[in-house]
Amino acid sequence: MGLLKHLERDFPIIDSDFQRFCASHGILSDCFDFTQFHLILALAIYPHAVEDFLFHDLYVLAAFAEAQSTSERLKQGITQVLTIIDGQHQTWFNGMELLENHQRRKRVLRTGCVGLDLLLEGGLCQGQLTELVGPSSSGKTQVCLQAASNVAKDIGGVVFIDTGNSVSPKRIVHLVNNILDPTPGEAKNRMFERIMRCILCHSVFNIFSLFNVLHELEANLRLQSEEARVQLIIIDSISSLITPILGSGSHGHALMISVGILLKKLANEYDIAVLVTNHMVGRDGGTLKPALGDSWKSIPNVRLLLSRVSGDNKCSMSIIKHPSVCARKQKMR
Amino acid sequence: MEIDTLPISASMRGKLISTGYISLASLSSISPSQLAQDFRVRESEAVEILKVASVNGRVGNSDGFVAGAQTAWDMLREEEFASRITTSCKEFDHILGGGISCKEVTEIGGVPGIGKTQIGIQLAVNVQIPVDYGGLGGKAIYIDTEGSFMVERALQIAEACVEDLLGKGTAWKEFRASQPKLSAKNLLGDIFYFRVCSYTEQIALVNYLEKFISEHKEVKAVIVDSVTFHFRQDFQDMTLRTRLLGNMALKLMQLPKKFNLAVVLKNQVTTKYSDGSFRLTLALGDSWSHSCTNRVILYWESNERCAYIDKSPCHQSASALSAVTSKGIRSSTSNCSRIKLM
Repeated sequence: MGLLKHLERDFPIIDSDFQRFCASHGILSDCFDFTQFHLILALAIYPHAVEDFLFHDLYVLAAFAEAQSTSERLKQGITQVLTIIDGQHQTWFNGMELLENHQRRKRVLRTGCVGLDLLLEGGLCQGQLTELVGPSSSGKTQVCLQAASNVAKDIGGVVFIDTGNSVSPKRIVHLVNNILDPTPGEAKNRMFERIMRCILCHSVFNIFSLFNVLHELEANLRLQSEEARVQLIIIDSISSLITPILGSGSHGHALMISVGILLKKLANEYDIAVLVTNHMVGRDGGTLKPALGDSWKSIPNVRLLLSRVSGDNKCSMSIIKHPSVCARKQKMR
Repeated sequence: MEIDTLPISASMRGKLISTGYISLASLSSISPSQLAQDFRVRESEAVEILKVASVNGRVGNSDGFVAGAQTAWDMLREEEFASRITTSCKEFDHILGGGISCKEVTEIGGVPGIGKTQIGIQLAVNVQIPVDYGGLGGKAIYIDTEGSFMVERALQIAEACVEDLLGKGTAWKEFRASQPKLSAKNLLGDIFYFRVCSYTEQIALVNYLEKFISEHKEVKAVIVDSVTFHFRQDFQDMTLRTRLLGNMALKLMQLPKKFNLAVVLKNQVTTKYSDGSFRLTLALGDSWSHSCTNRVILYWESNERCAYIDKSPCHQSASALSAVTSKGIRSSTSNCSRIKLM
């Protein structure tokens, strides 16, 4: 009953009449009110209220409402709550709408690594979570930096979340210089500055601050303008944030899956490509396998394996998992 | 935004969820005394929980996309002022791009006896070179896990460093006169030395470092020698080890970013069986290799000490020769002392 009392404080329309009505049907935490705004707010804050509400047979409730003196208002309230609940979930798409949405809004971002773009038949897909797995110093950070500079040059709007202080502006300068026209000039300098300003870097050092950053990003993405749209999010590396929490009970596991789901949701709703890197651990036979375990395997849409020939500048990349390209290998520098 | 993603204890989380507070917005309208009453906890604990929830619930920040983020352009401007600690060996400095960077974690590994501790002591002394002589003028924290820090050797290196510096300044006698007394004893006095004897002490110390450094803002280098010693023996539970190491790595990674100092970790080597032969690799496995920004491996090459950059986001793989003399680390004086690019 504590929650209802709070509601009374916030929304004075919920007077003792309603509380008695609700209490008489065992709905201890419901939130009937008749202004749309209050209802939405209340439903967002007290999802338990929705559960309680939905558990009851609505026809029975309506019949009881009939018996009360303020029956009209109560019935209106019930229908309003139902429409709001319906509005909370995503709309249904049919195949054609899905295809149109995909073609119109979700682009393929070229990463600038010729081999990678060839392997992925285009580049990174917006709306998908791509994972780059590889042993240490196999070039994962380099691929991320290259993708960031290329996307910043082509379209703009890159968010780079860095867990190992490995974003080095000098290296980005070097990569950007490689892509731009070699002739120096004022226009080139301006373009250079524009590219560098498009790449936003943030350092996080534990999983909770990653959640903070992603939630803040989500809130700001709703308000973003078309020119300054975020196209690519890179997290390097997500495994160093997750490995410290895995293993001690199931909470770490739950957090890992929540991060994956949140990233995929951001990718899908706001047409962003997400690139994360993962490292490898040894398995029992002495070979290496990707870290983070079997439950993480199903979360990324695309998984790429990077391996480096020792003592050589070349590395080879192969696809482990992709929704539309079959597994292949590619050598690149 | 869920209660799940708050850094609070599991029992408190369970209590909140079972009473119906599953989203952060529901916590925003409740007072600490009410929360304390509802859950029968102390009021101070209730205040803590609400503080955590309000910090995490900040939304709609119009200051760029994410608070605390920087664009690459700003980082580039800042990097021009970034400082590096010299290792007193020119070739070594060259392959590192000028020295040990103050915004990154550098890991140095090698076989026993190659000079890792010598580099550590040299860096602890070099970080204190005054700004006028081209150094950082900061203090150093030396965390010793193996007991290999010899004070007499540190004194020797410090004296040699002072000699070198004063030797440079002979042209400007009046300039030199205005400097505070630069002596080996002062240099030693600015090294904070911690001795840890078990892994719990090591973890506790790493957790405490943040508070220590915010009280001693002049610290510009943290040297851990060696970071893997206590984790290699006697660990039955490997998953616990991975978790502890991961946590420690993240905390160590946070220090350079927050306080603008250099972190140098020393590591040992172990053998690894791969492709039919035994290879020397750094200890603690593949998961630890992701906890540093740069990795340098020291090895012997026909009686010469070589340093090889194994992992770096912005430097090429290269190796350089160096030597350990009575004065500390210096450039190698052999005939073929050149930098080999790989």
